[in-house]
Amino acid sequence: MTSLPIQGISIRKINFRPMVPFLSGGLAFLVGGIILSAAGVDPIYAYQIMIKGAFGSVRALADTLVKTTSLLILGLAVSVAFKCKIWNIGAEGQLYFGALGGLLAGLSFIGAIPILAPVVVIIAGFAFGSLFSMVPAVLKVKLGVNEVIVTVLLNFVALLFISYLLHGPLKAPGFLSYSPDIHPESELPILLPNTRLSIGILIAGASAIGVYLLMSKTKIGFEMRSVGANIKAARYVGMNVSKSILVTMGISGGLAGIGGAILVAGEQHRLIEGISPGYGFIAVIVALLGKQNPVGVTIVAFFFSALLAGSEFMYRTLGVPVALAQTLQALVLVFVLIGELFLRWEPKRRKI
Amino acid sequence: MEKSNSTQIVLMKGITCRFGDVVANDNVKFDLVKGEIHALLGENGAGKSTLMSILYGLYQPEGGEILVKGKQVVLRSPQDAIALGIAMVHQHFLLTLPHTVIENIIVGLKPKKAIFLDIKSAERKILELSKKYGLKVNPKAIVGNLSVGEQQRVEIIKALYRDIDILILDEPTSMLTPQEEKSLFETLQSMVDQGLSIIFITHKLQEVMAVSTRVTVLRNGKALGTYKTSETNETRLAQIMIGRTLVPHREKPSRAYKSLKPVLEIKDVSALNNSKVLFLKNLSLEIAGGEILGIAGVDGNGQSELAEIISGLRKVLQGRVIIDGREVTNQSPHSIRESGLAYIPEDRMETGLVLEYSVSENLVLDRYYSEPYSGKVFLKHSQIRKFAEKIISDFDIRGVPGINAPVRSMSGGNLQKIVLGRELSRSPKVIVAHNPTRGLDIGAAEYVHNQLLRQRENGAGILLISLDLDEILEISDRIAVIYEGSIMGVFKQEEANIDQIGLLMGGKKDRLDSTEVDGSANK
Repeated sequence: MTSLPIQGISIRKINFRPMVPFLSGGLAFLVGGIILSAAGVDPIYAYQIMIKGAFGSVRALADTLVKTTSLLILGLAVSVAFKCKIWNIGAEGQLYFGALGGLLAGLSFIGAIPILAPVVVIIAGFAFGSLFSMVPAVLKVKLGVNEVIVTVLLNFVALLFISYLLHGPLKAPGFLSYSPDIHPESELPILLPNTRLSIGILIAGASAIGVYLLMSKTKIGFEMRSVGANIKAARYVGMNVSKSILVTMGISGGLAGIGGAILVAGEQHRLIEGISPGYGFIAVIVALLGKQNPVGVTIVAFFFSALLAGSEFMYRTLGVPVALAQTLQALVLVFVLIGELFLRWEPKRRKI
Repeated sequence: MEKSNSTQIVLMKGITCRFGDVVANDNVKFDLVKGEIHALLGENGAGKSTLMSILYGLYQPEGGEILVKGKQVVLRSPQDAIALGIAMVHQHFLLTLPHTVIENIIVGLKPKKAIFLDIKSAERKILELSKKYGLKVNPKAIVGNLSVGEQQRVEIIKALYRDIDILILDEPTSMLTPQEEKSLFETLQSMVDQGLSIIFITHKLQEVMAVSTRVTVLRNGKALGTYKTSETNETRLAQIMIGRTLVPHREKPSRAYKSLKPVLEIKDVSALNNSKVLFLKNLSLEIAGGEILGIAGVDGNGQSELAEIISGLRKVLQGRVIIDGREVTNQSPHSIRESGLAYIPEDRMETGLVLEYSVSENLVLDRYYSEPYSGKVFLKHSQIRKFAEKIISDFDIRGVPGINAPVRSMSGGNLQKIVLGRELSRSPKVIVAHNPTRGLDIGAAEYVHNQLLRQRENGAGILLISLDLDEILEISDRIAVIYEGSIMGVFKQEEANIDQIGLLMGGKKDRLDSTEVDGSANK
């Protein structure tokens, strides 16, 4: 990889761009290795354990895919909003409202109707997440309030509200602050026996296809993209910008809500505090690295899930501190983002 | 410096400068003689500003040499240039508006006395310069309160204050009224009389003829020759500048078709500007079908607001807007467009187009929702492509980077053709064209004018809002002057008097009560 022009073949002609994310990832693991050895862990062994924890067995792979389910659907939720340049940082809160919706559906009498119940649970998740996202959307459209601040703060509102419900009205009998279990008919069918991998992963995959079709093939998607790409032009050609913003937030919050409903109906079968380990926030990273493109988001969601599953396994097996596992995740993120920066960097032209 | 009047004080030889693959200057030769006004003529993108930015130390050339006052020099920054006595006044002023004239002029200079600014002696020197060159300016005034013409004088004094003897002016007349332009030319004359040398960048032939001693013509980065102004004429310069004979400009407006009914009526409209200040005040206009009404005025006098109230992008506080007999006051941009409006916005990059969209996506931006471009839910990409291909050939859009590639990389002229293609293919009844040729070269500008004229023949009423007075005089049937949000007067093209228009653009309405402000088109 010399950068000298040799006989007219300049380095510029070789396309390095696709390699950058891999190089960045590699560097992250290199630096991570140094930190691991400093902590007295053999880095090569640690990474072997990590890979084993992510892909090493059916169980491990199922665990990775369970995480992929959440990260993919949440990543899509954030992507839809970001594509329209609406900075929805509130996916976590919308997830919790969706989880609440799914729980209520699963506890109600409809939740006992076979086959119909899971469908209603998912729809309820969408509806609750969507409804909760209307708060920042309406504030933005009607009063011009910045959605970043509102969505960030509403995360706390949602978490604390769910916490209140789980300590009060929705608390199951006993010491722990759990909700009661949903009707078994409401649970999402399990794909792999003895694992938590449910058909949620299929719902997430279908959502990716749905988002792709929505954004690139439909009229409403064209409007959403136009508002994101140039809001002035969208307004000028007569598009209803307010409507586009409401629809975008509705879909974004709804998808996050489905993510919450899947956690309830597919994994825990009840609502607990901390049902999401911050999927709504990791999703922001997934959406950014995946370039808000359904294929990109799917790939990034899978790799991030593997990283999460692998480092959890490493922490359980090797007894390395949780903080170390998280450091590794953070390193990957930092390096990939730096790589992105280099991809975007172009020599500045001096302007008068 | 005590050389005869015919010495070259600047000589640039073999100057070559590239930006990526674009050659901005290709082996250019240029010389400046002491005491002359040397015009640098060329279309947009011909390389004029690049050449002068090299002389001012902003860009470093890849090849060539520069001699200033007989000595070979390397200019690494504007500081180097100023030290050699060269200053440049940019097209867009570099002044801080909340500060006074004095502060703006002495900024960046090291105070001679300790830490304190010597405002008193600065003021004295400014007044001296102002008197010497007839540059009227109040040193204590806040720059933000000055008119554009006055701000330009501040920029010139700022240059002179640095004891320079070579002054570069980049398109200095683009923001001025005809009167301010005249006074600028007088100032320039008095400056060369006192020994300064001036380089005058322009693309306007009349200005070259009016002020310059010599003229160098640039095209596509190449210098095509230097001529004594007295030995050449506008036609010849135009030929050299655009590389072909200019089609003798448009046959006189044919009035074969002209509707008697107004297609656009603006009645007594008032509206706020972006700072929520009442800006359009009881403005009334009427345009008949088959007519072009030009709006002349200095930038920032309500032109944008006027375009926006017609297109529905700005709320009307009082008054009415009627298109083709249909009341559209305060309706949505969508429904106003459906009533027959086409709108060529001021800024094609920021408003007119989505730069990351392809040509075809940009072309259907206003009609994607209707048959045949889409069904109930889905877009019909094949129909969209078919339509795009038709418009691309009808409007001769060139340099299309690919059916799905963003239009970002296309040239200004072709971008404007995309906007025209979309807007004019609506078969509009009313067209609002706001600075439709800004930043275009002569060929592309001519194309835009011909398209507008063709729409006029088709019976559309056209509101042409432009900062380029020549453009307005050339293709309008009637001309209205806007000043501080009011129409100062309306003239028929054949009766238009440039002096009077200039006075009205500057807000002087003395002895002009006879103008027909309502401007009925049906005479």
